[in-house]
Order: sequence, then C-alpha cells, then structure tokens
Amino acid sequence: MPTTLQEVRPDRAVISRPGHCTAGPPRASVFEVGGSDALLAARLAAGDDHALAEVFDRLAPVVYGAALRVLGEDSAAQDVAQDVFVELWAHPDRYDPAAGSLRTYLIVLARHRAVDVVRSELRRIARQERHYRLSPEQPHLSVSEEVTAAEAASVVRAAVRQLPEAQRRVVELAYFQGLTCREVARAADIPEGTAKSRLRLALAKLETVLDRELLEWS
Amino acid sequence: MTGDTPEPMMVPAGLRERVLEASWQARAAGRSVPEVQEISPAEAFSRAADAFYGLLCALADEDWARPVLRDLDVQGLVGHLIGVEEDVHRCLAGDTNVAEADHVSSTQAAATRQAGRPPATTRGEWRRAADRSLDLVRADGDLEAEVAVHGMRLPLSALLVVRAFELWIHDNDIRRVAGLPASVPDGSTLHLMTELAARMLPYGATLTGLREPVSLHLVLTGPGGGTWDVAVGKRAGDPAPVSIVTDAVGFCRLVANRVTPDDLDLHVTGDPGRAAKVLAAAAALALD
Repeated sequence: MPTTLQEVRPDRAVISRPGHCTAGPPRASVFEVGGSDALLAARLAAGDDHALAEVFDRLAPVVYGAALRVLGEDSAAQDVAQDVFVELWAHPDRYDPAAGSLRTYLIVLARHRAVDVVRSELRRIARQERHYRLSPEQPHLSVSEEVTAAEAASVVRAAVRQLPEAQRRVVELAYFQGLTCREVARAADIPEGTAKSRLRLALAKLETVLDRELLEWS
Repeated sequence: MTGDTPEPMMVPAGLRERVLEASWQARAAGRSVPEVQEISPAEAFSRAADAFYGLLCALADEDWARPVLRDLDVQGLVGHLIGVEEDVHRCLAGDTNVAEADHVSSTQAAATRQAGRPPATTRGEWRRAADRSLDLVRADGDLEAEVAVHGMRLPLSALLVVRAFELWIHDNDIRRVAGLPASVPDGSTLHLMTELAARMLPYGATLTGLREPVSLHLVLTGPGGGTWDVAVGKRAGDPAPVSIVTDAVGFCRLVANRVTPDDLDLHVTGDPGRAAKVLAAAAALALD
C-alpha cells in the first residue's frame, strides 16, 4: 500500500444527520444563528433542527397565546401549538417570507387551527344532542368519555360567551349542565318548542360567528 | 395576512420537548425539503458529463484558445480532463500506479497533446473517455468497492461524485472565460456533492492541519442542501461548537476553491477562529 496515499473514506467520517428523535433543547453550547425570517425559512427547509428550536423559543408564547385566546383551555391550546410547529417543520416551504412575517404566519395558523377545533367540537356536540334526543335513555359514559365531554364543553365556552343572553342560557343548560330539552325548558321557564328552536338557532349562530372570525383572521 | 396581536403567554412546561419530539417524528432533522429525487453517483456523473459536453458543443472555435486555468487554455483543460478519465480507466482496471499519481502532472501529457488539434477532435476524445468511464463503472457494478487514484482512496461511488464535481467546476471555469453565465447542477446531483463535501471535511482538516476539535453544525440552504453534524479536527479534548449556515452552491464553490469565505453569505456562530479554520479545510478539498 502506498505510504503517501491519503485515505478518503467519507463513510467513516464522524458525521451524522442531526436531531433524530431527540427532544429537548439543542446542545446548550450551540448559539442562536438568528437572522431574518427568510434565513430562518431557508434553514428550516434545509432540515436545521436548531432553527426550529429557535423559532419555538421566539414565537411559542404568541402561538400558544393565540390558541389559548380562542379555546380558553390549556390542553387544547397546547395541542394546537404543537400542530402549528409540526406543520411549520414538515412543510416549511408553505411559509412565504415575501407574504409577511413568520410571527404573523404562525399566529394566523394557530387561530385557524383553534377555530377548527371549536367547530369540530360543535359538530360533535350537535351530533350527540341529536342522538340524545332520539334515545329514550342516556348512555352510560366511561370515565374517559366523561373527561372528553368535559374538555369539549370547556372548548366551546369561549364561543358560547358571544351568544345573546337567551340563547347562551339554553346552550349552557343543555351542554354544560347536561339537561334534556324538556329540562332546559323547565329551568328557563319557556315552552319546550322554544327551547329547541333557541338551541338550533344558537348552534347555527355559533357556526356563523366562527366562520366570520375565520375570515377576519385569514 | 392580517390579525391582531395575541398576548404572549408563558409556555407550559414540557411543551417545547413535546413539540420538538413530534416534529422530528414528522420529518427527520437534516433532510431538506422539498426532497430532491435520489439518483445514483453514476447518474450524477453521467448528467455532469452530458452538461459538460453540451457546453463544449456550444463553444466557438476562438473560445478554445482562451487561457482558463494554470497555464492551460480551454483546449488544454479539456485535455487535462481526458487525462483524468484515462487515469480513472487505469484505476478501474486495477492499475495501482495511478493511486499515488498527481492529479495535475499525471494528466499534463493529455493536456499538451491537444495543442494544434481541431477543437472537435479534443471534444470527441473527451466524450469517448467519459463514456468509457461510465461503461467501466456499469460493467463493474460495485459502487462500494474501494478505489485509489490521484492520492485518494475512496469508494467508487464517492469517486464518481468527485468526478461530477470536477466536471461542473471546470464547466464553470470555461463559462467564465467564454463570457457565459455560470451553471448550477440539478438538485439531485448537487445533493450528492454537498453530502460528500460535508463528509470529507474531516479529511480537509487533516490536510490543513486543524488541531483543535470542532463540533460543526453545517447547514447548507437551497436545493441540494441539508444539515449535518460533523466532528472536525482532533478527537481529543472538548470540541468547540461551531455553526455555519450558507447556501449549498456557494459552499460547493468554496470546496472547489473557486470562491473564498468572504464571497459567501455566511452566518457563523461559535468561535470565529475555528470557523475560519473549518472553512479553510473545506477549500483544501479542491483538486486543482
């Protein structure tokens, strides 16, 4: 073997793709590169795990805040914040620095996702309401189902607060206190038919309100 | 996009870790998006050869006489590349004499013999030499087999990428003197080049005698880019973290010693002195 021959074995170099399945902050001794949103976007597209950590540290407070403001509930807001950052990491090319700041892009994304959550919960509750109306007996809920139901209720509270008093009252009785239509009517001292129509009107209005907010934010 | 500003909220404990974990699962760190189509090193060499031949066909006769590199005119440079292919042929045939051969001096005869020839003759000779290389590679088939040529011992797959790299760089040398715009390889080919360049940085560090250990976080942006963590320099001692962000094409030109770090849009963090030595190690990878 020639003595002066340099061995160039790129496969033997100490090198790795960064960050595979590692959580937590990047190595403490690594500094923020920072830079413009365009540079951050380019770094994210290049698979720079440090860039994502930097974006999280800088913008998670407003992303989480935006979600919490819509949802009013910590757990759901955390889920939305996670979805937003995973979306940014998985599809960094969907962010166009020429169209606006990364901060605005992530806030809008968080609001859209949060509104989607609320709308989804409303649809689920409406289905449940129809099911209860048709069922002679209330089904027995498991503990996990009860927890889910409780979370759903808290998720829609923020949207319900915007309803007129009369409609908000029947919604709260029906969905937050779990009363049947007949019980709602009795508690609100209104005819059962009026309770049903107010509920339907309230649900339709909630959808409209959420749609309008969605348009305003986009 | 519009939207009022939400109140920044204290981020709940554990959310950061949860988000990063979910993100790495959605897309492994290091990989660029949009992902480039994966091609073989032989395909990369074939594409580079086709591009180079296309350039040679587009040159006017007077372009072949333009001084371009060292003491070579364009025709001499193409002759040099013929010589390189001939040494690759010998290498693939098992001739150990080319293992230590110098990249420039061993090809000088092929460069010199082009003088006075019609450009079309030189062009045809180079095309046949490149085709012969591809034929030998395809016949041999073992891209992981170790080969030795011009002072390098490396897998055949890596040699093909080195060859594609050299063709692209000399393609751009010729474009520069002929007044033609610079070219950039397609993303698939460029990614093979950036991957190889990142992996060869420790070798470059041995060439420049970089003694201090460096833990390099290298981010190359744009099509064909990616992110790598590379240990450069001596293994002993605490490595200094250095992060270098620049665009993939510029970095490849640095590796070919066609630009200096000052020419690049660099974003460096960590010890600037060690970062400069890493960049010097990158430039030391150039063959000529």
